Amino acid sequence: MNILVLNCGSSSVKYKLLDMESNEELGTGGVEKIGMKGSFLKHIRRDGQKVILKGEILEHQLAIEYILGVLTSDKHGAIKSLDEINAVGHRVVHGGEKFNTSVLITDEVIQKIVECIDIAPLHNPPNLAGIYAINELLPSVPQVAVFDTAFHQTMPDYAYMYGIPYSLYTKYGIRRYGFHGTSHRYVSKRACEFLGLDFENTKMITAHIGNGASVCAIENGKSVDTSMGFTPVEGLMMGTRSGDIDLGVVTFLMEKEMIGAGYVSTLFNKHSGVLGVSGISSDMRDIENAIAEGNERAKLALDMYEYRIKKYIGSYTAALGGIDVLVFTGGVGENQTGTRQKVCESLAFMGLKIDVELNKASRGKEVLLSTPDSKVKVVVIPTDEEFMIASDTLAIVQQN
Amino acid sequence: MAEEIIEAIERYGLSKRNRKRTLFSRIGVVGCGKEGSVIATTAALNGMEVVFLEPNEESIRNAYSRIEEKLDKKISNWGLTENEKKAILSRITGTSVYEDFSGCDFVIEAIRYHDQTGERRIVQRKEVFKELERVLSTTAIIASNVTTVIVTDLASELEHTERCIGLHFLSNVPDSQIIEIVPGLNTSTETFDKVCQFARLINHQYIPVLESSGLVSIRLFLIQLNEACGILLEGISSVEDIDRVLTVGFGHRQGVFRTADQMGIEKIVRLLENLWDEYGSLKYKPSPILLRLFRAKHFGVSTNRGFYTYDDFGNIIK
Repeated sequence: MNILVLNCGSSSVKYKLLDMESNEELGTGGVEKIGMKGSFLKHIRRDGQKVILKGEILEHQLAIEYILGVLTSDKHGAIKSLDEINAVGHRVVHGGEKFNTSVLITDEVIQKIVECIDIAPLHNPPNLAGIYAINELLPSVPQVAVFDTAFHQTMPDYAYMYGIPYSLYTKYGIRRYGFHGTSHRYVSKRACEFLGLDFENTKMITAHIGNGASVCAIENGKSVDTSMGFTPVEGLMMGTRSGDIDLGVVTFLMEKEMIGAGYVSTLFNKHSGVLGVSGISSDMRDIENAIAEGNERAKLALDMYEYRIKKYIGSYTAALGGIDVLVFTGGVGENQTGTRQKVCESLAFMGLKIDVELNKASRGKEVLLSTPDSKVKVVVIPTDEEFMIASDTLAIVQQN
Repeated sequence: MAEEIIEAIERYGLSKRNRKRTLFSRIGVVGCGKEGSVIATTAALNGMEVVFLEPNEESIRNAYSRIEEKLDKKISNWGLTENEKKAILSRITGTSVYEDFSGCDFVIEAIRYHDQTGERRIVQRKEVFKELERVLSTTAIIASNVTTVIVTDLASELEHTERCIGLHFLSNVPDSQIIEIVPGLNTSTETFDKVCQFARLINHQYIPVLESSGLVSIRLFLIQLNEACGILLEGISSVEDIDRVLTVGFGHRQGVFRTADQMGIEKIVRLLENLWDEYGSLKYKPSPILLRLFRAKHFGVSTNRGFYTYDDFGNIIK
């Protein structure tokens, strides 16, 4: 069975075509700059050859048409006809409180995703555009929605509510939803398989740290708390997002800088975080280079970034009453050995110990970093959201 | 492994059928002065490709710097990032020939009022409409950024008058996201609906306004300004205090004198005279204070002096 995984952003569509029997990637890539000058499709063939197709790509439907065209082309394709695509799995950012698991897409489901636009105005509309496009181009192929928020729907109310009037929760659905759910779910499950532990009987913390970053507390296979909230700006300091901040700062700045809601959102989402503090870049590699050259603000940014990860892991350890496993994933979590080492060393009080040399040598692969006498197992698990989306899609399509 | 293969994408489409271009993927702006540059920037900010026309290289360069200034101001107010600015600028192209508008499905005429006299330039605007009709497809919409000019008049000599429409961007208060949409006598419903869609695409609210001199915004504003000038003239209150009553007391984002300085006194005087001509009501007769500033060429922000005094960045000194 071949499954196409689609991740539609506001001006991009990422895709992966997977053969679920052989677990083989038949083709992968993405369309960038949809509706803008210089749009292109980057396709990586089964044999690893990269192909760039340039041209005008005005909208999501057209982007998806080209993706299907490339996948079925004689020259770069992997399948002969569209009939060989058996199902499509979509990443959908916000499922609100309406979805706690992946679902087969029906008219009713589409309607509910539309209702979530209010609380995810940037993300849900392009996700829907992808669903509509497949509806039109592959009308008989079943589609499945996999939500970023679904995994965190198991959070208890005392963890997801904000300390504000309850009526705002009932009126607008203001609460903590959490994001990166597909990734936290994949790496936590995979870590247990890798370590030979029972997922349903393990306390763990997963740290998905990259440009966007969140930490998740997982007890017996269920998310019980996570650092992102109503929007992805809460929690850890990120590449360009501030993370937790005193609300007083927001209102103070709105008055002093005479700015409104839109500008405030850009300030805390795009000008802040590692970029805002360092004044250099949101990319950790640039930050490391700047630190090597003695840049103090780059060092401050990295110190803050790491300190907040430690703080969240510490507080979630308390929330869980101790942990068995700590998982690192995401761009930084998989590759930034220095950050992993700093965070782990600062958690030595928990009896957590890692093999420093092994850590230094490990990038982008599954590895057990903790020493045999460590009280907490520390692992790196590269995330694979597409695989998770594909396997959910497979399971749901087979059920139906 | 060989280098990346680079090809054109068109042959990978699923079908050969003619692709419908998304509406408003490419728009044109004739005249990229104060108002034109706001329109061009707003459209590009919302993902559209924009072609603007100015008479020569130098004025094209000036227009670019006006646009860049606007974006830089947004960045310094935290509303935009450097990368977004680059993307926006890459969507804007300047030209001095009408032929470059071909392929646009919407062109807005926004030529300036005369710098010195504030004159409306009806003849030139009609010329622009004719030039546009020459290069555009018959379904492309031709709009004019109007305040007291009547779009039916501008369109009168064209063949396809049903695609002409008036628009008014309230460009004087930064980030005021509302447009007045003014169908002329011959404007088709389809044209009107499309322009409403354009407003939604650029995240603006809109109100339909019957074709009339001064529309809603200009009439309301000018009367309030004239009355404020009257209060000033009678020595009842000061410029600062009148503006303070409006901002603090009535919740306006900025006072009436500050807005007048941004609009330009030369333009305001002409607008009032146009309304006076049209409606014959004394309430539209420009206040002596406005005339005094006009004659002294204290036009407002553009000349550093108006009701307030400004530095070169448009900040009030006193």
